[in-house]
Amino acid sequence: MHTVPSRDSAPDVKNPGLLLAAVGPNPLAEPLIRSTHRQAVLTGTPWVVMYVETSETLTALAQQLLEKSLALARELGAEVVLVHDTDVAEAIARVAKERNAGQIIVGQVSLRRWPGWLRRRTLAERLLAAAPMANLLIVPADAPFGAKPWPQFDLMTRSDWREYALVVAVIVTLTALGLLLPKSYYGQVGLVYLLAINLLSLRVGRGPILAAGVLTALTWDYNFAEPYFRFSINNRQDVELFLIYLAVALIASQLTARIRAQAHNERRRQERATALYQFTRGLAEAKTLAEAATAAGRVMDEMFATQTLVAFADDNRPTPNFAFHGSFVPEEREIAAAVRAYHYRRATGRLTTTNADCLGYFVPLVRDDHAFGVLGVKIPGGDKLSLERRDLLDAFAEQLALHVERTQLRAASEREKLLAESEKLHRVLLESVSHELRTPLSVITATSDELAEAHLPGFTEQVAEIREAGQRLSRLVANLLDQTRLESGALRPHLDWCDPQDLVNAVVESTQDAMVNHPLEIDVSADMTFVRADFALTEQALANLLLNAVLHTPPGTPVVISAGIEAGGARVFFTVADHGPGFPHNAREQLFNKFTRGATAPAGGLGLGLSIVRGFITAQGGEVVLEDNPGGGAKITLYLPHHAPENPPPE
Amino acid sequence: MTQGSKPRLLVVDDEVQILRLLCHALEADGYEVHSAKSGKQALGDVAALQPDAVILDLGLPDLDGLEVLRRIREWTQVPVLVLTVRSGENDVIAALDAGADDYLTKPFRARELLARMRAILRRIRAALEPAVFKFGEIEVDLAAHLVRRAGAELHLSAKEYAVLRILVQNRGRVVTHRQILREVWGPNAEQNTHYLRAYMAHLRTKLETNPRAPAYLKTESGIGYRLMEE
Repeated sequence: MHTVPSRDSAPDVKNPGLLLAAVGPNPLAEPLIRSTHRQAVLTGTPWVVMYVETSETLTALAQQLLEKSLALARELGAEVVLVHDTDVAEAIARVAKERNAGQIIVGQVSLRRWPGWLRRRTLAERLLAAAPMANLLIVPADAPFGAKPWPQFDLMTRSDWREYALVVAVIVTLTALGLLLPKSYYGQVGLVYLLAINLLSLRVGRGPILAAGVLTALTWDYNFAEPYFRFSINNRQDVELFLIYLAVALIASQLTARIRAQAHNERRRQERATALYQFTRGLAEAKTLAEAATAAGRVMDEMFATQTLVAFADDNRPTPNFAFHGSFVPEEREIAAAVRAYHYRRATGRLTTTNADCLGYFVPLVRDDHAFGVLGVKIPGGDKLSLERRDLLDAFAEQLALHVERTQLRAASEREKLLAESEKLHRVLLESVSHELRTPLSVITATSDELAEAHLPGFTEQVAEIREAGQRLSRLVANLLDQTRLESGALRPHLDWCDPQDLVNAVVESTQDAMVNHPLEIDVSADMTFVRADFALTEQALANLLLNAVLHTPPGTPVVISAGIEAGGARVFFTVADHGPGFPHNAREQLFNKFTRGATAPAGGLGLGLSIVRGFITAQGGEVVLEDNPGGGAKITLYLPHHAPENPPPE
Repeated sequence: MTQGSKPRLLVVDDEVQILRLLCHALEADGYEVHSAKSGKQALGDVAALQPDAVILDLGLPDLDGLEVLRRIREWTQVPVLVLTVRSGENDVIAALDAGADDYLTKPFRARELLARMRAILRRIRAALEPAVFKFGEIEVDLAAHLVRRAGAELHLSAKEYAVLRILVQNRGRVVTHRQILREVWGPNAEQNTHYLRAYMAHLRTKLETNPRAPAYLKTESGIGYRLMEE
């Protein structure tokens, strides 16, 4: 491998620009792509693999090789660019300039068999002239790829029979008119023929012009050069004239062909641009993703003249659901292929090696390594999808992915705004409601406390009743406000390191009034380190469990609160177990619903307790499990994610 | 506060019932109590009355309680006890950071209120107090850097002692995690609450009769610690 540095500029060391590998339909493409990939990975630069489609028709083998190489490039993460041009070097230079390529990588077959002055200039040499700004890296191939196939003319530039008919008609007319002229005008007739050929070349293709050249030469020889009406020429000057004439006709035909090919390429470029324009316009007008899918499907149906589909993945879960839109209704095999395209982030289905037996060709909608969905086109058995079409499909996929990303970002920001609004509203409402409810409650509690301390003779029981009622009301208000907080989505756990013993102590302290008739056993495992949790939320969840236990078990029955690290160490648990009636078997899950109370529950309470417990614990990434206590009764365990904290630095 | 005269308090709350309740309890305990019903009035009264301490409700109708606190702190270090509602620990931390001396959550008990009041009023007299403080079997001699348990000297590491000293200096009052972390471990350690948990566990093992149910080194849920007085 050797590098030919550019003549007038050293590459920018800091920003080397992207790597541009130009490949052809040959076995050299694969090593070229792999070596570029290696270089791109090593230097961390983006890379592009380009192919220039000329008017030459590829053999089946070459086509296959090319498709394989381009698929490889896509798989390795390259951007694949397809351009149409008659001049490969010019095209590469153009793309290099457009994309600001720092290095162009091309392959070259050793051409030592030919003396320098005889062979055509190589691609590398032409590139050096066309793109002097970039570094050129030439990867030599040891052996030529075998004989070049006999050139075939592209179907697209092949002329139809009407052009031949026109040529014949013009020649017949001119010949008829020529025959009316005196014999001495035979030279002028030749010039008129030549003029006709040049004019015809503006209208008809290479084949008809070639035919016109040969035909007029023969007609001229037969009708106007001596001896008349025979295919032979006596005069040496006439022979020279005939040959020059033939040469001019051939050159005209060649030029025509080239112009036509260029025009054709130009048209294809424009078609691509138009298609992309229509596609993006359709997307821009869409208000929702479904509308975007419909618009995209419509343009694709038209462009590909087949059934197409757009699938968006709902990726909020590990195995996303796909919503399929478009005229192409996928069956099981097609869905499997589409899902794979999504997961593998590359094309699948027909014409690829993955799920090749299905009827569609699927490309993923990828943006920054994140897939949003899949585009698919139906390709009935036997049909092919030209490189150009595939390229167009890739471009569509890119545009659509961009659109989906934009839509999602917009939706996210709107959601964020809404949430902030609702949080604000909620905070204001909650603050005023809690203020209004708690103020009288504070007064009741504090006054009854004072009364209780005064030990008024004859009123002790009444005062105790007031206190208890006040406390119960306080708990109810607290639960209602907590439930509101949960439902408004405004609950943001504040995770911090907590000492589980502290937590349990706080719970015991805050519930001691209610627990007077229930002996409490506390068991905090000695090996339990600190827990990352929201202290207040966890404390309250546990307090709710204790109060529940008190409510559902007869006085005198013990309640156990325990804490520890689960085997494996990934979670910690807090358990509240009682020896009451336990849970009704058929209604465990319903107990978590708000305003649902156990069938055996004594009167009182709103049935918010467990719903709040679950809300507070899941908000911290934990889980609540209801079980039967082995000795009879209920057992509720709160699990919280756990990892051991680092130790404080030694002193 | 002059010797002999009653300590003068300013109570700020917009709820008449709460005001009456507070006044009643405080007057019974020997304070001279004045009340204000709005933030603006409170700001004026703090200047005019020169109270020995202020009890400030954080939910005021005109000015945010925090704002009132900040304006008070702009020119005076008068002790401030803030009143708040439950599940407002963020407000409490903000108030303590803004210079409040302690807090009380509604609904509260009169006993608690009076204990807090005594603790925050002691701050002004702190310089006159002996440097030895006792709780339970423990004796902390701040002047000699000594800690004794039932008369026998107790060995504490430097950081353990530093944490204990802060709590003793603020005994009866809440001290936030941040405050302790900043003073003992430096301003970059304010988030490392697990350091503090670990040292607190050590201290409890060394100082408490039953470390699992501490009687003196109390945790204030989500806010900080408080060393209880006897």
